[in-house]
Amino acid sequence: MREVFYLATRYLSYHRVKTAILVTSITLIIYLPVGLRVLANQSRAELIARAKVTPLLLGAKGSPLELTLNSLYFESEVPDPMRYAEIARVDSSGLARPIPLYTRFRCRGFPIVGTTLDYFACRDLRLKSGRTLALLGECVVGWEVAHRLGITVGDHLVSSAENVFDLAGAYPLKMRVVGVLERSYTPDDRVIFTDLKTTWIIAGIGHGHQDLTNPATDTQALQKEGSTVVANSSLMQYNEVTPENIASFHFHGDPRDFPVTAAIVLPKDEKASTLLRGRYLSQKEPVQLVSPRELMHDLLATIFTVQSYLIAAVLIVGLATLATAILVFMLSLRLRRREISTMVKIGGSKGRISAILVSEIVAVLVLSVLLAGGLTLVTSHFGSAIIRSLILS
Amino acid sequence: MTSGRGPFRVRRERALLRALLLLATIFAGGCAQKGRDSSLNERTPSPEHRKPVVYTVNYPLSYFAERIGGPGIEVVFPTPADLDPAFWMPQAEEVLRYQSADLILLNGADYAKWVRRATLPPEKLVDTSASFADSFLVIPNAITHSHGPSGKHSHAGTVFTTWIDFTQASRQAGAIYDAFLAHDFADSLLLRRNLEALQDELRDLDSSLRSITQKLSGQTLFASHPIFQYFARRYGLHLVAVLWEPSEYPAQEQWDHLAALQKKHAESWMIWEKEPLPASRQKLLQMGIKSVVFDPCANRPSDGDFLSVMRANLENLRAAL
Amino acid sequence: MISLNELEFHYPDGEFSLRIPDLKFETGESVAVIGPSGTGKTTFLNLIGGIVSASAGKVMHDGTDLRSLSDPERRAFRIRKIGLVFQEFELLEYLTVLDNILLPYRIHPALRMTPALKARAVELAAEVGISHDLGRYVDQLSQGERQRVAICRALLPRPSLILADEPTGNLDPRNKGKVLDILFSYVEREGATLLTVTHDHDLLARFARVVDFSRFHAETSEQLSPPDGAR
Repeated sequence: MREVFYLATRYLSYHRVKTAILVTSITLIIYLPVGLRVLANQSRAELIARAKVTPLLLGAKGSPLELTLNSLYFESEVPDPMRYAEIARVDSSGLARPIPLYTRFRCRGFPIVGTTLDYFACRDLRLKSGRTLALLGECVVGWEVAHRLGITVGDHLVSSAENVFDLAGAYPLKMRVVGVLERSYTPDDRVIFTDLKTTWIIAGIGHGHQDLTNPATDTQALQKEGSTVVANSSLMQYNEVTPENIASFHFHGDPRDFPVTAAIVLPKDEKASTLLRGRYLSQKEPVQLVSPRELMHDLLATIFTVQSYLIAAVLIVGLATLATAILVFMLSLRLRRREISTMVKIGGSKGRISAILVSEIVAVLVLSVLLAGGLTLVTSHFGSAIIRSLILS
Repeated sequence: MTSGRGPFRVRRERALLRALLLLATIFAGGCAQKGRDSSLNERTPSPEHRKPVVYTVNYPLSYFAERIGGPGIEVVFPTPADLDPAFWMPQAEEVLRYQSADLILLNGADYAKWVRRATLPPEKLVDTSASFADSFLVIPNAITHSHGPSGKHSHAGTVFTTWIDFTQASRQAGAIYDAFLAHDFADSLLLRRNLEALQDELRDLDSSLRSITQKLSGQTLFASHPIFQYFARRYGLHLVAVLWEPSEYPAQEQWDHLAALQKKHAESWMIWEKEPLPASRQKLLQMGIKSVVFDPCANRPSDGDFLSVMRANLENLRAAL
Repeated sequence: MISLNELEFHYPDGEFSLRIPDLKFETGESVAVIGPSGTGKTTFLNLIGGIVSASAGKVMHDGTDLRSLSDPERRAFRIRKIGLVFQEFELLEYLTVLDNILLPYRIHPALRMTPALKARAVELAAEVGISHDLGRYVDQLSQGERQRVAICRALLPRPSLILADEPTGNLDPRNKGKVLDILFSYVEREGATLLTVTHDHDLLARFARVVDFSRFHAETSEQLSPPDGAR
């Protein structure tokens, strides 16, 4: 058998271009449906896992899918905001605990998520270094944020302006990194977490500035009438929260009107969940309560139907490719008739000659299977990172 | 807040396409979770023998918590004794200690300005004055200012010294009891007994104060700071507040301002939160204004406790009147 | 000794047949087979080599009738005892010179590859002057070098019979001489029998006997006798 494989490999390596084309084609035929299936299964598991630990989502009326994708993965369009009063309404119902999210802003391509400490417990996020959020203007970054930007505890990040001409809207805020999270292999790795109130400062709802009652700021006052001071535009607003100026930071307006993009709602039990969902069914409600798990199941059912078609298409193409490969083998045999005849003439046994030809086919198939297997392994290991960089960045 | 836009089909389709791409290729990589060391919230299940830890934002709440919870509860009030807890700004490490508590008792009424500038776990917060939030008083002459096109806004308009109306103090104590009961911090009968004992004493203080202040009924008093509004409302007093520090001799313009006010209101009393300087007291007397001290006891007293301070306040009033 | 007795071969197209009443070749004899194209000389060699089966008659190799053997038996006999050299060399382009020489030992279980064998192949290559080309592919060699590789392949199993079909047909005069030198040297050394089909009359003088094959055409049935002047 050694001699048989020797001759087979000699032939294949001499005709390396033909061999490479055959191996590549067959590898792809095997890998594509398998790799797709692997990716799809992993995707399904990941999506379902993420949705499973998010029992309910509260958000403004609109696309439930957009609300879910933005709240779970932070990458789709930011949904319309709702009033913070809706969060308080859920909380005061006694049926569930809400975890607010405000995902409007970004920093160097990564989403900034304003939330509360409950989020970290809910997602079981752990610290790799530093500490958790304590004061306004601080942030805790996900593993990938730290890794990609080379960020460590003590560094600073500045929120991105929403547009170039954002003169009277969101203020870039310089935030201090106080913690870096352990890798969680979830979308949270790509997030910059802040206190919800910090994102309200970025939104311009809250700010810090010099004390207008201080005579030193008289030059900043346009007008003083009794207890009312009107300041001019020279008044400096702080773009960073520091121990020296934190006491000056304050918010304007009724907090119940402050914006949030969503809330993860954790019902006390199944009955509470049902009661809550019933309350938000009315068309007159300005908000919606969705079940990410149900939504994902429906979405996956649709998408995996598409996946089946994709795989069917790939299989059909694969069959065609396989037929072509067989044709190539047959033509190759015809071209090698003289060579075979020579081996017969000098006395080669039928068994050996047949074995040589079959071994060439087997070698190509085995190599293809091994390559396809290797690609599948690589896909299962690196697929999410590759796809995230291709699709989501 | 704006409500949802018009038809959502385009956005839904875009989201669906993104999800399609997401699923066609995404999120392999396994969800292998390696062993982890530290929890973000540093919550370790407390052993059976560990006392529940309760943090507060002022001394009165601390006192109530100790009275109601008894020795089985550890109450922590970390504000330094020489600072006003309402305006104290803790460092990050102190905030982290608050986060580690089992419960955090807030006064409500926008007391402890630092709470809005810090990150605290929502499920541990107890707003002890939430039950009477609709009756909060707003300081009508708080500093307002405006800048840019956004218009006027004001700061710290809510009166936050809720506990010097002892009926409100009793309700705050009740809120603490409810929280301790809900978290099963101690035997319910013990909690109940402790609460009732405290509320009885607060009720006694209230009725004593009402009889004492009857003599001042209908009168207008000066107040060294705008912190006695609930006290005034409860006990039928009318207060005109100035902004005088007990430890500082007022400036001339402040005396002039007081004189101008005296022309409008024939007050003969000024109520101080701390003992004023003798010179201040003397000058006031020359103006026909007697001083009386009523310590709100927002921070821990150097000796005694909340009730002893309140009783001393009552004695001051009784003696002065 | 090789003897052909009442041998008949009918071509599939039925146009003509080959009839050889009686023909013998002694052990160690060098024979040139000549004749016009199309008279069946190659078929003749194939019949002697057992590559094709006669329709009737016997092909005896030292008492073994090839016609009585099965195809696998004939192949085994051929690969051990008969060396074949072709006009077009018939080398495998995807094997090196050494691998081509060793080919018989890879395509039949009757011949086993050993380290000593490889050493002998290298010696044989050195004898014919191609030892420096062992790692090269055959398409990198000249015609003469290729034929020498083919001869090494044929001679490595130490056959007792060499069938060469126009071995010098594609070679220049210098290489023709070299090739024949190699074959005759082997014949002399090993006492093997050499049957060579050739159109090159300049080379006939080197052979002990010349057989005019045109007499075995189907229309004739004359018995052949050794020609005059044969050595």
